[in-house]
Amino acid sequence: MVSGRVGKYQRSVSIIGVGMVPFCDMADHPEMEGLTEGEFFGTAALNAMADAGLEPRDVEFFYHGNANPKFHNDAATPNMQVAQWFGMGGKGSAHHSEACCTGYVALQEAVLDVASGAHDIVLSGCAELACGLPIKGKPAHIRKRLLLEDLIPDLEAIMDRAYTRALGGGHIGQDDWIDLYRTTYGLTDEQVDEVLNTMSYHGRRAAVLNPMAMHRTPFEELAKEAGYDDPMEYLRSPFNPKTTQYLRVTGNATNADGAACVIVCPTEMAHKFRKKPIEVLGIGSSSLELMVPHNEMEITKEAARQVYEVTGLTPDDIDLLFVNDFVLASQLCAAEEVGYLPRGEGWKWMLEGRCAFDGDRPINPHGGRTSYGHAFGVSGMADIYEAVLQLRGEAGAIQVKNHPKTAMLRGFGGGQNCCIPILKAVD
Amino acid sequence: MIEKIVAPFYEGLEHHKILARKCKECGAIEFPPRYACNACGYHETEWVELSGKGKLTTMITPATLNSDPWNAKIGPYCYGIVELEEGVRINSTVFGVTKKKAKTLRNQLPLPVHAIFAERDGYTTLFFQIDEDVLA
Ligand SMILES: [Zn+2]
Repeated sequence: MVSGRVGKYQRSVSIIGVGMVPFCDMADHPEMEGLTEGEFFGTAALNAMADAGLEPRDVEFFYHGNANPKFHNDAATPNMQVAQWFGMGGKGSAHHSEACCTGYVALQEAVLDVASGAHDIVLSGCAELACGLPIKGKPAHIRKRLLLEDLIPDLEAIMDRAYTRALGGGHIGQDDWIDLYRTTYGLTDEQVDEVLNTMSYHGRRAAVLNPMAMHRTPFEELAKEAGYDDPMEYLRSPFNPKTTQYLRVTGNATNADGAACVIVCPTEMAHKFRKKPIEVLGIGSSSLELMVPHNEMEITKEAARQVYEVTGLTPDDIDLLFVNDFVLASQLCAAEEVGYLPRGEGWKWMLEGRCAFDGDRPINPHGGRTSYGHAFGVSGMADIYEAVLQLRGEAGAIQVKNHPKTAMLRGFGGGQNCCIPILKAVD
Repeated sequence: MIEKIVAPFYEGLEHHKILARKCKECGAIEFPPRYACNACGYHETEWVELSGKGKLTTMITPATLNSDPWNAKIGPYCYGIVELEEGVRINSTVFGVTKKKAKTLRNQLPLPVHAIFAERDGYTTLFFQIDEDVLA
């Protein structure tokens, strides 16, 4: 791979508003069923404007992201199709799509825009109805359920079509990094399983307390239903079978419907608005195709190097880490790669619960993809939403205990792209 | 004239030839073949042929979420990183690994492999296989 660099912004940019639609499967919630892309994006956008104390007329430009607008939404220009839902008809906008990295690219687009001086107030949002599919010839509120046999062939779309699909080089991703970790540090398969199950357990403890999360039933309750007193015993049981060499059912993200938006402006203006501004200090980025060995590790290393270099920060300056962990093991592997946990020791920290939302080195206090849910293109923006609440001290029952000032987000996805922003609460 | 790369590569596979590109500046092998070098970022590469011999350095056994029924028709297989003797490293599909043998074989990594060619829906593709003397 060829390395890159990122420079300082022409002017500092801060987040002044965030808004969300909670992650869920609409079909399981009669009060949600029948809602459309416009209503999802519109609600998240208007919530973000209310959070900042803005009206739609105040926002100058917006970015729209989702993972795969043709597949999930039968739309080629989704930004045009949602703009009027939140009073921005006639304003400039653009759509972008980077599969599961979309939500992080969404922040980058807005930040670069404001940093350049092109606009002062920019909204960037993502909406994804990932649990269903559109039906040709019917209006948007009539959808059908997405089945695994619909999704699996479509997931091929993240693999290179010239070579990777034909040469069978794209199927290693779920297990590759944790396999390398196991070999490097000499863990047994049973130890890896225990680490992953402990991560599942603590992620669910957080999600139970998080109104934005999808899976809110404690493992204690699910264990009891299956005849186990100990939730860890349940997580190790045939009720939670292996789906890959290392990952059990609870180690994989579940599709969700959801939406999230952010509003940014120059930091010098940010104090005029309602909430404590959260500055975007920098965003590192790197991408590598799925056939390249250890691609997730390589791009995480490179993007982290860039963002540390441009911000002048070190891992010791990071109080809180979010990791896009639609593959649960990424939480551990990426945390060590960006220096948030000591190399080769992170698995012990996981077993001790130190990375839980109420631990001393929290990771994914919102629950992580496997409990929070995974609305593909929205997931990154939901991470940003959750990071902003934590940095403001507004995260309620899942507020981490170390009064975080600085948060890093290891954004990742889409076969594969890595975006690593560092956010800092402005005093 | 735009130089064709993908079609000649697959034509090569039909004749059991593995074509790659070599960087004209740093000498790194670009595989699968593309125009430019992703080791050093130089714009120009030229054709070279690979031996198809190398080693498997990691081994992931397929399960419900990442198995490929078409592969299973050829034989038992795993996914892993293949390092070719010319220095190329790729994620690939490697045959000759049964679930039963996987644990033992995993402890013997790296394992020698060679290229195999398979006909699939109108094109020839490239996989690898663990050398027979290792499995014997
Ligand atoms: Zn080169």
